[in-house]
Amino acid sequence: MSLPDWARRLAREPLVHFLIGGAALFGWFVWQGGEADPAGRSITMNRDEVAGIAAGFAQQTGRAPTDQELDRLIDAAVREEVLYREALRLGLDQDDAVVRRRLAQKMDLIAGASAQLAIPSETDLQGWLEAHPARFSEQAAYTFDQIFFAERSPADLALQSQDLAAKLETSAKNRDIPARVSAMTERELSARFGQQFLAELEHLAVSEEWQGPIPSGLGWHLVKLTKVSPGKLPALNDVRQQVEDDWRLNTSAERKAQAYQTLRDAYSIEIDR
Amino acid sequence: MRLQTARSCVSAVVAVALATTLAACNQPVSDNQSGDGEDTIELAEFPDRPYWGDTHLHTDNSVDAFGFGVRLGPEAALRFARGEEVTATTGGKAQLARPLDFLVIADHSDGLGATRRLYDAPRLGIVAMGDDTLLRWYDMMHESPEQSQLAIAELITAAGEGNLPEALADPERQADATKDIWGTHLTTLDQFNEPGVFTAFAGFEYTLMPDGNNLHRVVMFRDGSDRTLQVLPYPGLTTSPEGLWDYMADYAQKTGGQALAIPHNSNLSNGLMFETTMPDGSPMTADYARKRAGAEPVVEVTQIKGDSETHSFLSPNDEFAGFGDMGWELGNLPLSRKTTDDMLAGNYIREALKRGISLEQRLGVNPYAFGMIGSTDSHTSLATGDEDNFWGKHTGNEQANQQRALQPQNLGTRVGRFGWHYLAGGYAAAWARSNTRAEIFDAFKRREVYATTGPRMTVRMFGGFDFSEADWDEDWVRAGYGRGVPMGGTLEDRGAVPTFMISARKDPDGANLDRVQMIKGWVDDSGNAQETIYEIAWADSDNRKLAGGKLPPIGDTVDRAKATYTNSIGAAELRTVWSDPDYREGQNAFYYLRVMEIPTPRWPLFDAVRFGITLSDDAMQDAVAQERAYTSPIWLRAAPPAIMEKP
Repeated sequence: MSLPDWARRLAREPLVHFLIGGAALFGWFVWQGGEADPAGRSITMNRDEVAGIAAGFAQQTGRAPTDQELDRLIDAAVREEVLYREALRLGLDQDDAVVRRRLAQKMDLIAGASAQLAIPSETDLQGWLEAHPARFSEQAAYTFDQIFFAERSPADLALQSQDLAAKLETSAKNRDIPARVSAMTERELSARFGQQFLAELEHLAVSEEWQGPIPSGLGWHLVKLTKVSPGKLPALNDVRQQVEDDWRLNTSAERKAQAYQTLRDAYSIEIDR
Repeated sequence: MRLQTARSCVSAVVAVALATTLAACNQPVSDNQSGDGEDTIELAEFPDRPYWGDTHLHTDNSVDAFGFGVRLGPEAALRFARGEEVTATTGGKAQLARPLDFLVIADHSDGLGATRRLYDAPRLGIVAMGDDTLLRWYDMMHESPEQSQLAIAELITAAGEGNLPEALADPERQADATKDIWGTHLTTLDQFNEPGVFTAFAGFEYTLMPDGNNLHRVVMFRDGSDRTLQVLPYPGLTTSPEGLWDYMADYAQKTGGQALAIPHNSNLSNGLMFETTMPDGSPMTADYARKRAGAEPVVEVTQIKGDSETHSFLSPNDEFAGFGDMGWELGNLPLSRKTTDDMLAGNYIREALKRGISLEQRLGVNPYAFGMIGSTDSHTSLATGDEDNFWGKHTGNEQANQQRALQPQNLGTRVGRFGWHYLAGGYAAAWARSNTRAEIFDAFKRREVYATTGPRMTVRMFGGFDFSEADWDEDWVRAGYGRGVPMGGTLEDRGAVPTFMISARKDPDGANLDRVQMIKGWVDDSGNAQETIYEIAWADSDNRKLAGGKLPPIGDTVDRAKATYTNSIGAAELRTVWSDPDYREGQNAFYYLRVMEIPTPRWPLFDAVRFGITLSDDAMQDAVAQERAYTSPIWLRAAPPAIMEKP
């Protein structure tokens, strides 16, 4: 979708969303007819409105109402309308916590909808991608050999001895702490050997020498770290939809707050304590 | 009705006909993601690590969860489970310390999405339906979160008593809406299903609850939306489990896919979950037992609403029985009927395993030959069983409610259950060759799974006849699979003593282990089922000696004022090769492990420290516990069994 610049700018303006949303909702109600002057004392229900009631019944129950049922529904609708208007006349909508909360909720909902409609710019998305690399990057992967020890001192001793290759062979028989690890992601490493191990591993340099022992929640590991593939940040074009979804999901609250602020700014508020 | 609400990536309200071209979250879904995952990932030679998951999560599509207040849907649930941060319904950032490997979203099939639709409907529409109860609930849901929770407590009671308003109870009426929600949901699952990294399973909860007695099952599908779209979730309130099993068989026949059912909260069934008879009280038939065994290979033994392994009344010599029983043992789900001692045997899993081998002697088939898993049953869209990251049973007791540990539970309006009776919930561990739908489902199917009450300890068990300590020096996993069977398997009794190769390793980010116990059940010569608990491996064995078959306690490092513990006691790994000292040829038996951690703080203690609240005396006494794992059993049985096939 390509829009002129001014339109794109406008399209990002919360107030505009708000006004469009409000106008559309207003239009919807006008188009629906129905809502006559609540202060008046005449109630007319046209064919469309009756059909609307019948359709509502059908939606809830899966079949059309019988004539009797429809009569009852109409009576109920009229009853509610009469009581509603009389309640307004008596001012019962004033100072009613539930009514106030409902109305406020509806406004909030409109603001929320407008937040959903906002269109992020290219800069927004690029910025979002760069600000949250962990969400979109491939994970770093590690390739290494390891020899596992339950205690530290035998690990220290082993490092000084010359037969680590033989020890590696023995270690290779232990599948639960595998001796040869090939391109394993951070997530997988953490699942198998714990977060402490991963944190320690990140501090090692790639080398043909045995290093450590490094501790994990399980014991001690001598490690020969032969390769680290760093996590790469993909280009925006490759992950555009994910980035936009993520941006939308995580910024709608912010834009909702902005929409409220726009309204709030028009008020002067004094509070005596 | 005028303002129809449609649920999608774009939030509701906007019936406002704005002609916008919104890029919705229609991420392309590859074939790998939408299928069962077979042939997508290289498989390990043997199951090489336990994959961790929750098979029992509710989102805002569940009638009760929505009413309790949750506003997070399946997408947020999946993001959270795979490790992302989300904002909980009542505020606060929620994130797992470690992602899960798989998730089954199990929203109630009855009225799938119905409370959300009810809530979103204009009031006049509800008035029009002429159902006073429905209208009252509608008003309560809109009045306040507290009223909404009360409305749902009433709804659950009504469901238990078969008094639901017709509009909610009748699946026919719900069909169109259900189809819509189910279809959207399956697509979302495929979007998040990533073979090798994260598995998203389709499922639902089957919520049969006669008189409030809990006969619920979670149904889990092996397949992607190409198959699951061909069916709708099966309703529970007005059907029978046999109907469910037929539905599952029909699904398999129609689509070539597979489903399995996982009973849960037997502890709230008032004796009905594991009966020795047919549901109508007549003798159990072999056909019924065979169907049940085929459809239900695994049960959920532990979750937020208590633990169902065993009860102190049933296992008086088990010092660790009774974990997670307090409060829950009082009655059925809504506490509308009390639980009496004679009901307990049908409520707990160890007893059911014993009943199973007894019934097998009579019927030739064991209806209760199941493996065990743990899960959460969280109704917040947040799948966490972690004590230090507990987000509540439902939205009313998320972390925003700092008094939650002390409050009476509003599920069940009568006294007796308090917040602190909730467990943080458990996890399911599956021994699989990779993380795909097919591999993990198949692990469930062959019962190569185990339960934990939250920690992620690694537990392997192989049963055979010739394992020895020398096997540890070799590739013992290969030996285990080659010369024996893994947990969930069956050994043929050939007159030789069964021997087990057992390895338990602590959660790499968690607490040390106290001990490993072997729990054996068998049928004696007079046909009665018996149980024995063997201490088979334990920490600090130099100082802790067996006396009368019992071990001294491991000790306790928990600092009550700080909710911390240290790994200065216990062991990182316990392993042993164990032979049954009481083996008698011809006695059918089962063997499962219980792996105990050292004592650690439970969630109420973390709450007490985090929120600065004071726990009541009884809550404080229960604020520290030994978390544990229960493995699926290995069965030993005479070969060949008397009757195998239908005559």
